[in-house]
Amino acid sequence: MSLQTVLLVARREIVTRVRERSFLIATLVTIGILAAIVVLPSALGFGNKSATVTVSSQAGQQVVTAATPSARALDLALTVERASDAQARQRVLDGDTDAALVGDAPQVLVRSGLDDDLGAVLRQGASLVRTQAALARAGLDPAAQRAVLTPPPLRVVELDPGRNDQAQGFATVAIFLLFFQLIGYGYWIAAGIVEEKASRVVEILLSTIRPRELLAGKVLGIGVVALGQLLLIGLVGVLLSIATDNIDVPADAFTALVIVLLFFLLGYAFYAAMFAVAGALVPRQEEIQNVTTPIQVVLFATYFLSFQAVSDPQGGLAQILSFIPPTAAIVLPVRVIAGDIPAWQVVAGTILLAIGAAVLLLAASRIYANAVLRTGTRVRLADAWRAA
Amino acid sequence: MLELDGLTRRYGDVVALDGLTFSVSPGQVFGFVGPNGAGKTTAMRIVLGVLSADAGSVRWEGRPIDEALRARFGYMPEERGLYPKMRVEEQLAYFARLHGADAPSASSAARHWMEQVGVANRADDRVEQLSLGNQQRVQLATALVHDPIALILDEPFSGLDPVGVDVMSEVLVARAREDGVPVLFSSHQLDLVERLCDAVAIIKDGGLVASGTVAELRARGAAQGIWRVEVQGAAPGWAAAAGFDVRSEDGDATLVTAPDEQALLDAARAAGRVTRFEPVAATLAELFREAVGPTASAFESASRTIETA
Repeated sequence: MSLQTVLLVARREIVTRVRERSFLIATLVTIGILAAIVVLPSALGFGNKSATVTVSSQAGQQVVTAATPSARALDLALTVERASDAQARQRVLDGDTDAALVGDAPQVLVRSGLDDDLGAVLRQGASLVRTQAALARAGLDPAAQRAVLTPPPLRVVELDPGRNDQAQGFATVAIFLLFFQLIGYGYWIAAGIVEEKASRVVEILLSTIRPRELLAGKVLGIGVVALGQLLLIGLVGVLLSIATDNIDVPADAFTALVIVLLFFLLGYAFYAAMFAVAGALVPRQEEIQNVTTPIQVVLFATYFLSFQAVSDPQGGLAQILSFIPPTAAIVLPVRVIAGDIPAWQVVAGTILLAIGAAVLLLAASRIYANAVLRTGTRVRLADAWRAA
Repeated sequence: MLELDGLTRRYGDVVALDGLTFSVSPGQVFGFVGPNGAGKTTAMRIVLGVLSADAGSVRWEGRPIDEALRARFGYMPEERGLYPKMRVEEQLAYFARLHGADAPSASSAARHWMEQVGVANRADDRVEQLSLGNQQRVQLATALVHDPIALILDEPFSGLDPVGVDVMSEVLVARAREDGVPVLFSSHQLDLVERLCDAVAIIKDGGLVASGTVAELRARGAAQGIWRVEVQGAAPGWAAAAGFDVRSEDGDATLVTAPDEQALLDAARAAGRVTRFEPVAATLAELFREAVGPTASAFESASRTIETA
């Protein structure tokens, strides 16, 4: 097998696919939908809150300053403005500010009712200021004051670590990404093979290069496009989420993206082989849907089972599905992202998937070589396997 | 020299090729003729390695052919094939590269052959936007774009208009004459084969029934001793009445097969005033029918009479 030939074939696939307007549009639409999902909630005011506080005294300012860390912890963005007592009162009445702190023993002025979060934050600030003053009166130097006021972080012990909302969110997104990339680009492989059969160009190609080179180039080229698109969509999603503060631990998002990309490679190799066989068996575009139906059924079943695996990564069903290559392609990465699962399961499932993909690719290249030149009628799978 | 030696291929119980042997010399335009289903396409596919033979071998300059050699052949399959949505120039350059050319020489070869076959003004069109005739020209350019050492063309003339036939003929003959490339093509247009080819192979049921130059076939063939006799004032059917094998009769002119032309002349003079008496060179079409004979259907027998008239 000549690598140069494989790369030439792959290059043609990439250039042809990427240049298609439908590809560009589909990519942009996907990114648009993703951006909408990520950006809209915060744009519409869900999740992130903000409040404006007007201060008219030194003491008020101290309270607001002391309140800032706890505001941040509650995702409450505080805007502070200065004004005279009278102005502050007027601004509260006009609704230009959410609260005003006036007087040396600060009083909180609101039009009617104080927002729970803002109230908690301001109370926290006020109590912090009083504590600080008391500590100073007790003769503690500033360093000792800080030591008292910034206690070491609480140790958190998770009793059910699988229940991680954020990880489950990533895992759910991973299901969508993997499923649509596998089914979409797998179909492209079948359609690309049938296009060459139906247009008869395959005979000229095979008078020049070997069937294996043609198949390898096609799978490689379409795989590069699929992986590139997945990387682009994933990166845009993660970066937007970070930019809009929707993710608590950005590193986890990148880890999830890397897991998705790695398992996509294995799953793609597995399903590409199946779609290649399907394509090699039929002579016309109209028959692709028909011949790929069994593969699509498997993918759809895997898709639905994966949601179960997200909600219960340690469940018996999820464990079994991780060792069956066609389902492992989505279930395994999703479990890895959703919760701590035993390392041996990840390793064993990955190895089985890799072996499955390798065996299928070898079988596919044999069936493809036997069947691809039979352009007239549909070829039976058993015949394609046997014929020399 | 391209040699096919004892090629045999079966599809189940059907014998497509049965020990087919012949060779094509450098610079030779070689016609490959035979009835439908005789095995022409199977033989060409085996030469190109698209199909494998059950027995026999294909040799190039005495050596069995391998992948590297095959990649330097030019091939035009019976069922034409190009990427419908790919642009003409891009497509030609792609095929040149698959054959091993680097990028710059592939694109200059693509431009050269678009000029040669007359589609240079369609370089940026998708193949599916071209007329069938122009697609055929691109197909020919695809077979030529890598400067092949041998050309194998399956029915290159089918579907071409007269101008296309001329372009195709010129290119094929030029490749043979100027570059010494052996050109093997199959065709049912026997007049064209006769006009273009230095040599011909006639096959039937997967085996060779005759091969050589058209003159050799004539000398060897059974279709000799045909005479055109024009006799004024003779009674219709005079030759048949005298016991000769009459191929056709049209007014004064009669086409007769006669091993002994002197006896025929005597009979003609006895029948009337002989105004014309000449040997008729068998056309390739006639030689073909003689050679392929027994499979000729009733339809073909009928059309034989009409054509020789």
